[in-house]
Amino acid sequence: MNPKASVEVASAQIKVSTATKTVPHNSNRIVNYNRKAESEFFVDNSALAGFTGERILYMAVRELIENSLDSCESNHSLPIISLSLKLLDPLNDMWIISCEDNGIGVPSDKVPVAVCSFLTSGKYVEKQQRGLFGVGLKMIAAFSTKDTDHPLKVWTKAQEEGSEYYFELRTDIGTNKPITLVRKALKTDEQIIESETGFKVEAVLRARLSPITKNRIYDYISQTSIVNPYAILIFESDEGKVVFDRRTKVMPQPAKEVLPHPADMDLKTLKKAISNFKNQKTTLVGVLCNSFQKLSGEKAKEIIARSGVRIMGADKYDEHELIKVVNICKQTKFQIPNTDHLSPIGEEILTAGMTSEYAIVINRQTHTIEQSLPQLSVKILKPSLTAYSSKICVINNRPTIVECGIAYGGDINSFKLFRFANKIPLLYDEGSDVAREVVSEVEINKMGISKKEVKEQFSNPDTKTARAVELLPIHIFFHICSTKIPYKTAGKESIASEGDLKRYMKACLADLYRKVSAQIRKELRMKEAEGRLHLYKYYIPLIVNAICESIKVDPNRLSEAFTDIAERHVRGEITSNPVIEKEDKITGERIDKEIHETSEVEDKILTNSVIQDDHHERTKSRRKPESKSHMPKKKNNTLGKDQTTLDVVNARKKR
Amino acid sequence: MTTTDKRHQEVVKKIKIIMRDISKDIITEKTMPVLDVPKVGYDNTLWSDVRRMLTIGKKTVQVSPDSTKKIPTFAQYIVMASAIRRLLDEQMESTIRGMYYATLSTVGDEKNKQKFWNSQENSDDAIKAVELLTGIPREEFSVTSKPKGMVSGPITLRVGGDLIDCNLRSRATSQLIPTNIRDVEIVNVKADFVMVVEKDTVLNNIRKSGFIKKYNAILLTGSGEPDRATRMMVKTLNEKWKKPVVIFADADPWGLGIALRYKIGSESLSYDSDRLVTPDAKVLGMLFSDIYEYNIPEVARLDASDEDINRANDMKKKPWLQDKQWQKELNLFLQRKEKCELDAFFKHGFKYLAEIYLPRKLREAGMI
Repeated sequence: MNPKASVEVASAQIKVSTATKTVPHNSNRIVNYNRKAESEFFVDNSALAGFTGERILYMAVRELIENSLDSCESNHSLPIISLSLKLLDPLNDMWIISCEDNGIGVPSDKVPVAVCSFLTSGKYVEKQQRGLFGVGLKMIAAFSTKDTDHPLKVWTKAQEEGSEYYFELRTDIGTNKPITLVRKALKTDEQIIESETGFKVEAVLRARLSPITKNRIYDYISQTSIVNPYAILIFESDEGKVVFDRRTKVMPQPAKEVLPHPADMDLKTLKKAISNFKNQKTTLVGVLCNSFQKLSGEKAKEIIARSGVRIMGADKYDEHELIKVVNICKQTKFQIPNTDHLSPIGEEILTAGMTSEYAIVINRQTHTIEQSLPQLSVKILKPSLTAYSSKICVINNRPTIVECGIAYGGDINSFKLFRFANKIPLLYDEGSDVAREVVSEVEINKMGISKKEVKEQFSNPDTKTARAVELLPIHIFFHICSTKIPYKTAGKESIASEGDLKRYMKACLADLYRKVSAQIRKELRMKEAEGRLHLYKYYIPLIVNAICESIKVDPNRLSEAFTDIAERHVRGEITSNPVIEKEDKITGERIDKEIHETSEVEDKILTNSVIQDDHHERTKSRRKPESKSHMPKKKNNTLGKDQTTLDVVNARKKR
Repeated sequence: MTTTDKRHQEVVKKIKIIMRDISKDIITEKTMPVLDVPKVGYDNTLWSDVRRMLTIGKKTVQVSPDSTKKIPTFAQYIVMASAIRRLLDEQMESTIRGMYYATLSTVGDEKNKQKFWNSQENSDDAIKAVELLTGIPREEFSVTSKPKGMVSGPITLRVGGDLIDCNLRSRATSQLIPTNIRDVEIVNVKADFVMVVEKDTVLNNIRKSGFIKKYNAILLTGSGEPDRATRMMVKTLNEKWKKPVVIFADADPWGLGIALRYKIGSESLSYDSDRLVTPDAKVLGMLFSDIYEYNIPEVARLDASDEDINRANDMKKKPWLQDKQWQKELNLFLQRKEKCELDAFFKHGFKYLAEIYLPRKLREAGMI
């Protein structure tokens, strides 16, 4: 019986009795204290691991890919991961999911517990990994056991064994023990793992998959490929098969296991450290400086002296004495922890991911009824510029690396924020993530552009956002790596603004904004110029038409001349300043004056005016002298106005 | 076909001069043409103590196809100017809405289509720009607005060739004030004074009561915000026909604002005050103090909105409302935060407004 549930029943009973005092106190109820197997606990509380109704398949995909990437990276081999998710039995919502990798594999004798027994993991060490808890794969096995009669199938080819083994497994949920149905070494012709080592799982799960969750799965895979551009990801579903190519052969430096930092010491870690040296007659000084980083013998002696405990064999201390040592450590300043156990993505790799961003797109072909099924394909976005910046900081005594990337323009046509924690894409709860706050709090004027400019250039009726940065065609990437990410919720989908994390993230983003400011300004200017050329193209005919129907002017001449000025203007040869200072602005006074002059000549100019191109005889020099110097000759008089404007647009693009 | 009307010819000629100057700039001088248009609005409106009206300041707006923002504006002004020239060439008349329709079009290509006008407001602005550049009000180039002003009383108009006696014996309706003012002429005025009220409903009530005959008055209303023709008629009656003008509007900042349109002008038409404003007109009511003086019952009073309060606070600072009486009135309003329409007098009886309130007010002012 679930102990928690019985406690609730008992307390409910008490409430009832106090409410209705006539009922005699029922003292027959006894609370049962039972131990619960880890597997049963996790199956009952599957939300703790993120396995909730809608998200089961999403979580399964996530766990499998993350395990595979960890497995490949621990051996520093370029990952090739092949994932398949297909509907097996639509009537009963049965899905078959499988994942194969070229990682280190799992030794055959460890396979059953590694796959089925909760809280059994090779990852309980102080280094950055995607998975940490040893729950994900077990959850898949347990759910498969719980909901279906299919065994979980495993193929493994471990480094140390060299031959391939096949398993059919189920989980005994009540005891957290694996049930091995089949275990056999495969003959050469039966082997399915193509690489030298590797691991493949195939499970049947009962789950519903809504279109939203399906898109999340696609997003997850796409975003995983952005931060793992050194991996080949193959994804196959009922809608088709997509391949994310490898874009770089550089892999991040693998994370190393490190000793804990003394600022992070507590009674448990200290006792564990001491027990590691059991029977070795080591002093406490020796235990301290061998079990914790940044702790020299000198420093250890100083700490012990300050804590006032006696010097003796490390295993002789009691908890009351040890807590004094812990307390002193908390009060002492140490060097900031080293970051060898962290594995940031790094500039080279993230840039590779950003410069060709892969995304799954769904094409709906509607040629025939049979073909109306959506088809998956891969779209590659190439931005016109990218930038990278990173910062190391200490959050909650843990070294933390903040990485930030920006991809701007090119194929990117809208704003998007990408969040990653230890190389895992975070897709849910964006609104409550610290990254969102950071993005809205860092002013875009750090890019050297104003909100007003951005709004003028990019706002369109479809965008509803008030934040200027969200109008830009920009993708912002945040990656936080740490052995302890300050997640907001157990679902690990958003990061809290813990300690100075936000400050560092803001500094990172501001750095990037500054880095790209010159280029973005240039892009903006080009866009502005392009927009202006388009406007001229649209409006010059209207103006020319209105003028030519009013007075006698050769429309072609006027339009050519106008286009010419417009282009020079856009190219910046005529800056806008002289226009304000232009001496012969058309004012009411000038018109009044000219109407009197005109009446003398009796409308000659108005009705028969042939406005001369060549006007040396003009006495009034109205143009500012300096603007004369860069008056280019017309390149080609025969060009139509549309052609000319377009030429300029193209020329600018080429540059 | 060209117009024979001298004034129209002048407009057309000025428009052609604008076009010619632009063409010269572009073809000969190879520079961007710049239209230098006086700025219209609150930040370029000045109070003239001497003329006792709002006048336009010296600020101007440069409209040139040299910036992304101004390219469409420039084109709009030129297209509108050309449309006005066409209108006059064809010897036709149009309302401002008609001009909007006549010049409607889309610009751009299939991929990027934009409207030439975002709304009629843009086209009204373009008409204003032509007025400002040519220095000729739009009524004189046959662009008018829908008539909404009304006049009733011993006044005879000649509209086109027809004589219209506005003193309708039946008291059944009032005469709309034509907006094509060039065709309108006041032939005869037999009244002793002119009374302007804010709304047509109030005017109808007063007319029906026999007020016109009893006090030998002309009743006039702009039906809310007065159009130019109504303002001009008030001015003409006051300055040319020497008839005193009194104004009654609702006792709220909005009503006071409308009364002041006649007396001091408005920011949006500050360039045309000389033609539109009647500085000698007297704003007699309805005062905020009248709400209490005449015991308007509480059910007929309205709560002031935040906008009313802001407006009143704003008005308190205006140079033309600095005399003690107005300051007292505005303070009273800001203190009680209550407003009231002229119609509220109907609560006291349908004839109360015309037979008690107005005569008393007019007597206090020495008008009757």
